[in-house]
Amino acid sequence: MTTYIIRRLLILPVIVVGVTMLIFAMLSLLTPYERASLYVSDVPRRQGSMTEIIEKYGLNDPIYKQYWYWMVGRQDPETGEIRGGVLRGQLGFSSTLGGPVLDVLSRRLPATAELAIWAAVPMIGMGILLGVVSAVHHNKFIDQVLRVISIVGWSIPTFVFGLIVLMVFYAKLRWFPPGRLSDWASQVIRSDGFRQYTHMHTIDAILNLQFDVFLDALRHLVLPVTTLAYLNWAYLLRVTRSSMLDVLSQEYLTTARSKGLLERVVVMRHALPNALIPIITVGGLILVGLLNGVVITETIFNYPGMGSFLAHAALSLDAISVLGVALVSSMILVIGNLMVDVMYGFVDPRIRLQ
Amino acid sequence: MLKTARRLLTNPTSLSGIILLVAFAVVAAAAPSIAPPPENSRDPFMIPRDGFQTEPEGPSAEHPLGTTEGQYDILYGVVWGTRTAFRIGVVITICTSIIGLTVGSIGAYYGGWLDDVLMRITEVFQAFPFLLAAITLTSVLQTIYGRGEAGPLMFLAKMLAMVTFGSNPTKNVDPVQLQILTGMLAIIAFGWMTYARVIRGNIMVVREEEYALAARAIGVGHLRILMRHLLPNAVFPVLVIASMNTGSYVLAFAALSFLGLGAQRGYADWGQMINFARNWIPSLAQHWHIVTYPGLAIVLFVLAWNLVGDALRDVLDPRMRGHDL
Repeated sequence: MTTYIIRRLLILPVIVVGVTMLIFAMLSLLTPYERASLYVSDVPRRQGSMTEIIEKYGLNDPIYKQYWYWMVGRQDPETGEIRGGVLRGQLGFSSTLGGPVLDVLSRRLPATAELAIWAAVPMIGMGILLGVVSAVHHNKFIDQVLRVISIVGWSIPTFVFGLIVLMVFYAKLRWFPPGRLSDWASQVIRSDGFRQYTHMHTIDAILNLQFDVFLDALRHLVLPVTTLAYLNWAYLLRVTRSSMLDVLSQEYLTTARSKGLLERVVVMRHALPNALIPIITVGGLILVGLLNGVVITETIFNYPGMGSFLAHAALSLDAISVLGVALVSSMILVIGNLMVDVMYGFVDPRIRLQ
Repeated sequence: MLKTARRLLTNPTSLSGIILLVAFAVVAAAAPSIAPPPENSRDPFMIPRDGFQTEPEGPSAEHPLGTTEGQYDILYGVVWGTRTAFRIGVVITICTSIIGLTVGSIGAYYGGWLDDVLMRITEVFQAFPFLLAAITLTSVLQTIYGRGEAGPLMFLAKMLAMVTFGSNPTKNVDPVQLQILTGMLAIIAFGWMTYARVIRGNIMVVREEEYALAARAIGVGHLRILMRHLLPNAVFPVLVIASMNTGSYVLAFAALSFLGLGAQRGYADWGQMINFARNWIPSLAQHWHIVTYPGLAIVLFVLAWNLVGDALRDVLDPRMRGHDL
């Protein structure tokens, strides 16, 4: 097991360096003037001070030198202060929202994480449950219906689904509002008595024993969570179904049945645990789905997270912010994939031996 | 080949997919007669406007599907948007599969360090969430093309413009088209990896087949073995992926347009038309038609490709028959 994990960890740096190189390749398509936001917050408009900054931060140096500055930072020759440097967490300055990109991101990541965590629960639950139902009733009516639902669901774009959900449950029925909190609740959250432990409002509200705030945050989460979850459960349904079908045809299940076990026990206790193993492998794809999904979902529901930041920055052609978000999200994905692989190694002994 | 075609036509899933695709193709071909462009229009892809009132109008005799914000006619946009969707989907699919096939087959056939390098590059591109990466690159490309002089990148845009819009590569690219091209380029850049991986895996298998060894033994050249013997035998799964992917490329481009990064305001593109609805969320119950019609067009279009892809997989890969993954 240890060798498996070590081997898996050895590939990691190659991918991480590759990712930074690809991001830097996109950065180097920009002019030195546009790249200046990597190091200074207010890019001056005057020609003279601009050439000074380009000189100071080596924005016209050969590309491999610039990549090095971008990675580890560039020392100011006069003051000795080091600026920039992705490894130091300096992703540059956002021209759309002001301030360092990393500050904006750390303010917004908890919101996105809250959304994704809440979405993961119904998504995984529904996907696996319906997948099992579909496989157990293989080729029966309910299987056909679920098959059609999943392929149609798979074809509905997030933004169409999100807008229709808003049309029905907000514009028509007025059940659930967009945004993240009502005005009164955001005042409570900003008040002195309220401690923000995680910056995820639902969790903070419980920790502060403010259940009305919790309910308000939850009410705002219902629609975006539905939109984000629906995206992936159709996919999970298909994976669970086919993996379950494979397992159901195996001999040990015939043995279990001939022992006289109830069909329910055979399915839930004997088949399902083995059928779940391949589902772990699609964990990476589901993470991709969530990361892609938050961009659209947050934009539609006016939810202040990482995704809506990306959409906003991309539209304002704020390349520094956009590339910062891309770097952070690909790191999230790389780490997520690593965790999936390690988990798979733990669960399925066959993998370790390969 | 004939057998495959018959299978596709008798399977209810793929048949409904094919019928949908044919219907869309008919609408695309007949666009000028279904929704004739106004006489003075310079570009038929710009949706005609009926006045400049901001508030959308419901369906009427003059505008069967109503108008959206700014009085753009929805029927016109949906009809001409079919052409946009086909163009974008097909061109992106062709470009990505060519890149993927090249990378995958070179890696698989030559093996060794070249294969290692190519596969690592593929993995790096896969380390980005697809839509997020496409948004990122579109934004960067629009910054660059916005400057006017983009050197070799402009050449790339001109080539793509020639393939997509049939425009003359010696002339400057129309700015409206250029914005669409940036989105397409970004999707192509991050959309080729599945092909590379699948074709590589398949060539690895057929490379060791006897006919390939025989060809090598009688001294057939590398390129010829690859093109004549290996690729044709490894290319079928690519068709399945291509069909499934066409749908998702159209979805991705629609998402870009929806965010305001794809087609320009007023261009006949489904995603762009839905973008208007963002300003009317509180009154969507009243203006339901501004989301429903273009939305339905996207869903059916993507569904058609997915149905065909799903059926192709069943038909082309006998091992998969009965399973759907």
